[in-house]
Amino acid sequence: MKNLLKKELSELFNRQMLISLFIGFFITAMLGGLMTSTISESVADTGTVHIIDMDGTDFTRAVLDELRAQGYEVETAESFETAVAQDGWTEAAVFPAGMSAQLLDAHEAAAIEHYTLLRSTSMLASMVGQTTSADAATDALTHVYDVTVYGEDGFLEEPVSIEKYTRANDVTVKADPVAVIGSLAMFDQFMPLVLFLLVVLTAQTIITAIASEKTDKTLETLLSSPVKRVEILGAKMLAALIVALTYTVSYGLGFAISLYTTVSHGIETNGIDIGGAFTQVVENRIAVQTLGLEIPAYAWIGVIAQLLLTLGISLTASIILGALVDDPKTAQSASLPIMLCTMFPYILSMVSDIRSLSLGVRSLLYAIPFTHTFIATAAMRFHDYPLFWGGLIYQAVFLAALLALALRVYSSDILFVHQGFFKRKGNEVKE
Amino acid sequence: MPLALEVQGLTKSYGKKLAVDHVSFTIEKGQIFGLMGMNGAGKTTILRMLATLLRPDSGDALIDGHSVVKEPDQVRARICYLPDEAGAYRTMTGEAYLAFIAGLYFKKPEEQKACIERGREICGLGDALSQKIATYSRGMTRKLVLARTVMAQPVLAILDEPTSGLDVLNSLDIRKSIRDCAEKYGTAFLLSSHHMQEVHTMADRCAIMKDGVFLADGTPDELLARYEADTLERVFEKAVRGV
Repeated sequence: MKNLLKKELSELFNRQMLISLFIGFFITAMLGGLMTSTISESVADTGTVHIIDMDGTDFTRAVLDELRAQGYEVETAESFETAVAQDGWTEAAVFPAGMSAQLLDAHEAAAIEHYTLLRSTSMLASMVGQTTSADAATDALTHVYDVTVYGEDGFLEEPVSIEKYTRANDVTVKADPVAVIGSLAMFDQFMPLVLFLLVVLTAQTIITAIASEKTDKTLETLLSSPVKRVEILGAKMLAALIVALTYTVSYGLGFAISLYTTVSHGIETNGIDIGGAFTQVVENRIAVQTLGLEIPAYAWIGVIAQLLLTLGISLTASIILGALVDDPKTAQSASLPIMLCTMFPYILSMVSDIRSLSLGVRSLLYAIPFTHTFIATAAMRFHDYPLFWGGLIYQAVFLAALLALALRVYSSDILFVHQGFFKRKGNEVKE
Repeated sequence: MPLALEVQGLTKSYGKKLAVDHVSFTIEKGQIFGLMGMNGAGKTTILRMLATLLRPDSGDALIDGHSVVKEPDQVRARICYLPDEAGAYRTMTGEAYLAFIAGLYFKKPEEQKACIERGREICGLGDALSQKIATYSRGMTRKLVLARTVMAQPVLAILDEPTSGLDVLNSLDIRKSIRDCAEKYGTAFLLSSHHMQEVHTMADRCAIMKDGVFLADGTPDELLARYEADTLERVFEKAVRGV
């Protein structure tokens, strides 16, 4: 048993596996650190509240003092638009003109307006939408109203409510940002998942296929036959793509069925108001359209082009990596670079707005061609056209260069004489 | 007879290791040429250069007048290469595999059909062709891949140790097929082998290699006479050991 275990472990813990292990460790450790700092950047500043006081009364000034007394740092501005442009605000509470009079003279409940700047549809964007200056302002206002003004409970049990506004693409609409994100999230988060699956599956399929062909010596037969290299590689890439698409469609259908079952169950057991839900959906769609977050039909061609370019790059890179693999056992290790280059932008684009990360991290991510597809819909929704079209051109150039390299590799000796990274011990060149 | 192959000073190195050093020889159409040598002598490197899989460092080889360096596409249309221990696609049936290979060499359906028919005849696998290749024995697989190598009637068939690992009867069948194809289709054969007897019985001409160079070449009888030996094994021993 001990002898057998030793043999199995020595087979599994080869040089390639250890290198993959170390690379994987460092990348994932880096990813964790990056995500933490990204999240911290966005949520750490909960001690600061942004207030736009359009009312300017003693009462609202008392509310600001109360906020300071509660330990908040209070920043004020003339308008949300200028504060966004000049000070980088992403949210603010607004005391509308006449609010004090409505509360103190008319004894009517008033509303604090809460404005959120939407820059992405990522998970962090949803978190930002929930962490508001308006919550802090509501607490402070209620305290001032109840205690400072009346010395005890005021006339109104809940003197103030929050009205949510969302700003994106220089347009502001009265809509809850979380609901706006929610109406886009189904697609914006599902498409990257599909892309991630496609890239990883095609990479593994193609590298394993080439490794098997090398082991069986059928690749030598193909490459010495009167068929153009580009046809051989093209057929392999297309076949891998079809296999991956089949997997993805199958997973997608499973996901859709699962979603349908959950929703149906919810309606049956909880008696969800379908009419109300539908009205909400329509309102959210109108908000999305008004904010310019809808992707126009012509732009979908660009998004699909980015998707196809990413798949092309993944397939071509896999073809090249496959040339460096000598047997199916090492295929897994060979697909690691592609997997990491996909995982890195995928996870980061899911949790944060890549466009707002530090220059160093952004440059690193933009250098990975796949990143541009993961952020394509966000770039289009938030009208970052230079990023979108720049990404598309970058991917096209990258693919062209990679295709040229693949043809060069498959027309060179490297397939049969390399002593490279993925070569297993003992596979010396046969002379 | 016109030349099927003319090798001119072919040279190839792997890093600092010189694998093939200025090798020159010719093969006429319909002729069988046997390459003998120990492991690492440079046989496979020569075969791969002629199959356009490796690029020579210097020298050239003309196959039916076309250069492996300058016209690899033209060369590929005139050769068929059978690597050492080559397999076939295990999920295909023998019949489907022959059809697949025929499709690589011929565009017209009638040419493909004729090619497949030749393949069926050469391999002699009969009804077994309708079975998956995964169920084939080693000997059956080798007969199938040899058939696919010669059924396209190439000017030059390049075979790397075609009977390696086969039993006596299967080896005899393969040898007979090679001989028949050379006579029937006029295909020239360049084969490498460790079996001196095989080379003696099959080859019209042969060469002994060591460290990337030809130590001796000629007809088997010429070599026997030159080295005053009764078998090619003795010739090989004398040539390689220099005794």
